[in-house]
Amino acid sequence: MEKQNDVEILIVEDNQYDAEMALRALKENNLANSVVVLRDGEEALDFIFAKGKFVGREKNSHPKIILLDLKLPKVNGLEVLREIKSNEETKVIPVIMLTSSKEEKDIVRSYKLGVNSYIIKPVDFDKFVDAIRGMGLYWLLLNQLP
Amino acid sequence: MKFPGIFIMLFLAQMLVGEGLLAQNYVVYPDHFYETDTIVIGSEPDYPPYCIIDENGNADGFSVDLFKAAAAAVGLEVEIRINIWSRLREELAAGAIDALPLVGRTPEREELFEFTLPYMSLHGAVFVRRGTTGISSVEDLEDKEIVVMRGDNAEEFVRRNNISDKIFTTNTFRDAFLTLAGGKHDAVIMQRVTGINLLGEMGLRSVEPLDLQLPRFRQDFCFAVREGDYILLNRLNEGLSVVIADGTYEELRLKWFGPPEQGELTMQDMLRLAVSLFVPMLIIMSVFWIIFLRRQVKSKTLVLKDEISERKLKEKELRKLKAQLEKQVEERTAELKEKVRKLDKSQKAMQHVIEDLNDITAELEAEREKLEYSNKELEAFTYSVSHDLRAPLRAINGFARFLIEDYAGKIGGEGRRYLDTIRENAARMDQLISDMLNLSKVSRADINLISADMSDIARSIFHEVASDQEKELFDIRIEKMPKVVCDSLLINQVWQNLIDNALKYSSKSKIKKIRIGSEEDDKEIRFYIRDWGVGFHDKYKSKLFELFQRLHAEDEFEGTGVGLAIVKRIVHRHGGKVWADGEINRGATFYFSLPRK
Repeated sequence: MEKQNDVEILIVEDNQYDAEMALRALKENNLANSVVVLRDGEEALDFIFAKGKFVGREKNSHPKIILLDLKLPKVNGLEVLREIKSNEETKVIPVIMLTSSKEEKDIVRSYKLGVNSYIIKPVDFDKFVDAIRGMGLYWLLLNQLP
Repeated sequence: MKFPGIFIMLFLAQMLVGEGLLAQNYVVYPDHFYETDTIVIGSEPDYPPYCIIDENGNADGFSVDLFKAAAAAVGLEVEIRINIWSRLREELAAGAIDALPLVGRTPEREELFEFTLPYMSLHGAVFVRRGTTGISSVEDLEDKEIVVMRGDNAEEFVRRNNISDKIFTTNTFRDAFLTLAGGKHDAVIMQRVTGINLLGEMGLRSVEPLDLQLPRFRQDFCFAVREGDYILLNRLNEGLSVVIADGTYEELRLKWFGPPEQGELTMQDMLRLAVSLFVPMLIIMSVFWIIFLRRQVKSKTLVLKDEISERKLKEKELRKLKAQLEKQVEERTAELKEKVRKLDKSQKAMQHVIEDLNDITAELEAEREKLEYSNKELEAFTYSVSHDLRAPLRAINGFARFLIEDYAGKIGGEGRRYLDTIRENAARMDQLISDMLNLSKVSRADINLISADMSDIARSIFHEVASDQEKELFDIRIEKMPKVVCDSLLINQVWQNLIDNALKYSSKSKIKKIRIGSEEDDKEIRFYIRDWGVGFHDKYKSKLFELFQRLHAEDEFEGTGVGLAIVKRIVHRHGGKVWADGEINRGATFYFSLPRK
């Protein structure tokens, strides 16, 4: 569980292939040192707030960045986002939305809930790698948390 | 013949009245003539000897007998009611009785009654003490003391004619005679007959009337009938004439006044005078008056006849008018009924229409709800497509790449080509999904109208869409176009797709030229974009704007067949139209119109 307290990137993605591709994209950008992948919104909330099956995890140890798929089983991505952004402790964590399309409604809603950025998962993997690189550069290396 | 004049007059009257007026009257007043054979008259109880009551309480007297005789001569029976003078006068004036036998003719009574010819004139006389001499004319009375009854005709007479300066009055005739008999004053003046009768009653032999005429002190006595009752008047006149002529009058006079004595000889003379002078004169006057009346009646009859015929005519006209009016009223009523019926009908029709409209509204409401539901379903579907269809494509594309990267050596050249094909098709599938989502979006998006400069839009879109190389190769000219009110984001998409097509389908042609412009009329503005590219066969021009319709193979010109469908959808949503002209290998012109608003 030590590892869980030292997470740099949390990926919440129900599609295992998308998750695998995300990991590979991170790896190609040398960003995959400590990545945790969770499969649904409930797990994500348990992990972030150290409850459920993640009871005992150091509460104050937050991931440096969360990649959150919009469409998730059980608790959807927007709901997870709301929980994170409405908590004083967790709302500083940068959350990047992963979405399949640029459906404006989703994006607008995400921004209203306080999302920090979003990445459209392209069909062309090369473009995805590019997007991940840009995201990683900014949020992990350049962006300093207050 | 005692009174020859009377016969002449009666004969004359008979000729004129009997043949003419009476016959005429019989026609004009049939109800009044000869039908009432009994008439009612009134008589006074105490006017001796003219009107009195006998021992049986029946009317009697000279005037009553004379009236009965005159009436009997013309076939009238007489019923007599007895009453005091003043009441009888009123009754005759009111028509309660038909005639009176003894009425002195005076101007004021002439207005109330009609008078027959006078049958008797009473004259005044000068009464003196027996043996008095020196009075032989009216002038001799001048220095004499005269006694009269106060209020009597005699007083009026002596004062009016200045008979004497010395006039004395008493309360009654009796007092006057007593005063004279007592040796006081010189003479009493009063009605002769009344005076003689009174002296007889009083047994006063020392007073006697002088044989002196007082011509202006005279009273004519007649029968009187109701005013305007000329029929009865004529009959009584006729009867009176008969009884005077046949001696009945004389008989009655003898009966009531006795044989003429010395004093009454004068009266006989006077009667003769009256009958021979006044009666013919009155008869002549009556005749003229009757003729005049007859003429008047004639003319009035004529006028009446005219009036009657005129009234009949008017009545006829009125009846005609009434009938017309009734007819009109009936017609109008019928018209109104018809209108009411029609209105009723229209109202019912309106009600049906309203009911139908309500039904239609309800149907439309239901349809709208269905549409809303479908719209939501469509949205959910779109969402699902964009998320769920893409995930497998990403996996196909991604893992094919991993294969290439991780196992390049084992796959070989041909294997590599297969994997590239897989990746390309996944990408194409992704493009199709994107275009479909786009089409769906432009169909559903709210339209935000703003004023947009079409020249600016076309120009900036061209710069956005064309690659650097294309910008160098193409001769592009964009004319000045008007500003239009539209959703500029959607219209951007229109220009984007059209310019994109023009560039794409000119890419293999020699002439690389694009012209963009517009023309307008008062209804709409038509925009066009013309190229000199591959064009299309005229027969396909209706298919161009259909979804997924392509005229070229994918390897010839890439594309999904959605672009023009999007153009059409957007233009339709603005109320405009799209169309195109083209010729194979000569180029194409695409048009769209926007209505002026």
